[in-house]
Amino acid sequence: MSEYTLLLAAFLIYFLVMAMGFLNLFKGKQEISRISWYLAVFGFALHSLSLLVRTVSSRQAPFTSMYESVNFLGWSCVLATIIFIRKYRLQKTAPYLWLLVVALMALASSPALPKEVTPLVPALQSYWLWLHVSVTLLGEAFLAVAFVASILYLLSAEKETAEENSSGRKERLDFIAYRAVTVGFPLFTLGALVFGMIWASKAWGRYWGWDPKEVWSLITWLFYALYLHTRLVHGWRGKKSALIAILGFLAALFTFFGVNYLLRGLHSYV
Amino acid sequence: MLTGVWYFLTSIRLAIVLLILIILLSIAGSLIPQEQEPEFYQKYLPKISGLILFLEFHHLYRSPLFLSLVFLFLLNLLFCSLKQLPAKFRRLKTTTGDHPPGRMYKLSTEDSLKIDKWLNREILSLESVLRKKGFRTKTIEESGQKFFLARKGIPGLFGPELVHLGLIIIIMAGLISALFSQRITLAFLEGQTEEIPGKNFALRLDRFTTEYYPDGQVKSWISEVSVIENGQVKLQKTIRVNHPLKFGGLSFFQMGYGQDWDRASVELQVKLSEEKNIKIDIRTGESLTFEEGYRIRILSFVPDFQLEASGRVETRSTEPLNPAALVEITHHSEQVFLGWVFARQPERKDLHKRTRAEVEVRLVNFSAPTFSVLEASSDPGTGPVRAGCILMLLGLLTSFYLPFREIRIKQQAGSLPELYFYSRKQAESFQEELAVLLGLNKKTSKG
Ligand code: HEM
Repeated sequence: MSEYTLLLAAFLIYFLVMAMGFLNLFKGKQEISRISWYLAVFGFALHSLSLLVRTVSSRQAPFTSMYESVNFLGWSCVLATIIFIRKYRLQKTAPYLWLLVVALMALASSPALPKEVTPLVPALQSYWLWLHVSVTLLGEAFLAVAFVASILYLLSAEKETAEENSSGRKERLDFIAYRAVTVGFPLFTLGALVFGMIWASKAWGRYWGWDPKEVWSLITWLFYALYLHTRLVHGWRGKKSALIAILGFLAALFTFFGVNYLLRGLHSYV
Repeated sequence: MLTGVWYFLTSIRLAIVLLILIILLSIAGSLIPQEQEPEFYQKYLPKISGLILFLEFHHLYRSPLFLSLVFLFLLNLLFCSLKQLPAKFRRLKTTTGDHPPGRMYKLSTEDSLKIDKWLNREILSLESVLRKKGFRTKTIEESGQKFFLARKGIPGLFGPELVHLGLIIIIMAGLISALFSQRITLAFLEGQTEEIPGKNFALRLDRFTTEYYPDGQVKSWISEVSVIENGQVKLQKTIRVNHPLKFGGLSFFQMGYGQDWDRASVELQVKLSEEKNIKIDIRTGESLTFEEGYRIRILSFVPDFQLEASGRVETRSTEPLNPAALVEITHHSEQVFLGWVFARQPERKDLHKRTRAEVEVRLVNFSAPTFSVLEASSDPGTGPVRAGCILMLLGLLTSFYLPFREIRIKQQAGSLPELYFYSRKQAESFQEELAVLLGLNKKTSKG
């Protein structure tokens, strides 16, 4: 099967899982969430196979163009989602995570992003490309989970109903977001900042150059440092935390898309 | 006064304010083009150019404002960590008597009896339950009191300090780099030798190759170089992008390539008459006799021809997008042809000042010597940055994944035991763990 057939199959499965999740919000059936978890794992396996086929045939990392990077971010989000569902169940949050996955995959498949394999410019021919990009995107996937949980937190804060379990659910969303940050933040630090600095010092002879992409990774990272420390100060939980986690992820998205399309620099390869 | 300053510098609120300010300034720095001439800002950002130049936001990351914020942040990090440390060490040292802050686990009578039994008759089983979970345990008896202590994740207690220390090192390394790093750009033609400024060796480019993909994109630049010391070849090496040469405290990076268009060679087709059509290879600046009485000279070559409004010829870029040569032909010192000929527009004749109608010149081919662009750099901050990164990562791992946990049981002779527990964060979830671990009721109050 070709990489695109596999990808399409994975996409359809994710869509199905999302739809089942939303329907199940009303029903709340255990079996449905179990079945959809296995389905999701199957979709993830197909998606992984698709990436593998592309990697083998192009003989380069599967994240060197915008299409590939968005697709890989989607794949990472699926991984993060599966792990978090497995660990924390997330009956009510899961469909929104799948919504994000489906949105990313739809974006990847948009005709605006060319799908063909482009050969690598000299600076990108390094094993650091693998380490730097994959770990960064994996970290961002967990930060995406925090993003979704934080949005849900704010939305559920809006309609402050007298529902009995509403405060319990909010606390849980806050907790999920925090746990996701504690996975995403170290990965992002390692991938974006540490591997980024080491690679830059190997390729260009300087580990930091205040290039727009570097600055925006730093901004993203500082937002999460802010997230962690505002939580240490009494009272900064919930709403404010959620807002920072959302801003942090928007900064990550801007690093990903905005810098390439709006700001120029050494890093604008894709 | 001094305590006020100390309080200010160690407060986490200052850290939050500084983080926000640094984020805002960095955003500004990414939006305002950096390192341009003042005129640039007056031209393109007339409304705010005054402010930009006053605040030195045209090189924001080395502006006094930004640097003082970073410096304040550095102090904040340092003092804040120093402030945390004594309490943490005290916690580790204290084993008996007044216990450091923690929570009291409010035990039901039933639970108290259970723990009493463990503590006094089945201490081994209490220890083994906790040890299985990775705790280290200790029992101390002192003046009629009994203390039982169980701990794990001691690195996690110091995780934040490791992260902060790593960051302090990274920021200081950045300062060292800013002050002491050196960079020189070097351009080499094949065969060229250059003395390296400030060093007692020279570098010679032996061979330079550019490899292309089938679609014409550059695949790699390969510079084969020799290091020459005292006239001797000391070392030979191939430099590519991502594969620098390290020698004599410097690293040499392949940055790209360029073409020396002032020394371009051209191939021309010169038609003097219907029968006489002659092919000529010649270099820019050279002149040569090619036919009885005829001399040809290439006065100039540009890779990307552009005619300015003033009538001056310029090159728009260094890429051969519209290559053109200015050719002069004389016959017994009489000018018979003068004009620009274009490789891509052979029919273009508007810039010909021709004296003889039958003479025609075509630019068939061109090439220019390519030079390799290398950059030599030394940066004493690189090592410290890596060390700082490692500390920071270790700190993050221990902070989040080896959380510090402590259980203290205290018993006065003749009374029931009291249980205290502490975790750096998330005391609630630790409490739940504990309840499961020891099989207790889940009731507590703050202590
Ligand atoms: C970008 C800069 C910084 C980073 C990346 C950073 C990172 C961290 C991390 C990862 C933790 C552990 C958080 C947790 O367990 O939830 C932490 C804790 C902490 N940080 Fe920072 N930090 C930074 C700057 C600062 C500054 C400037 C201060 C000075 C006030 C500070 C004060 C603290 C304190 C008081 C703790 C809690 C210590 C504890 O729980 O024992 N941090 N920091």
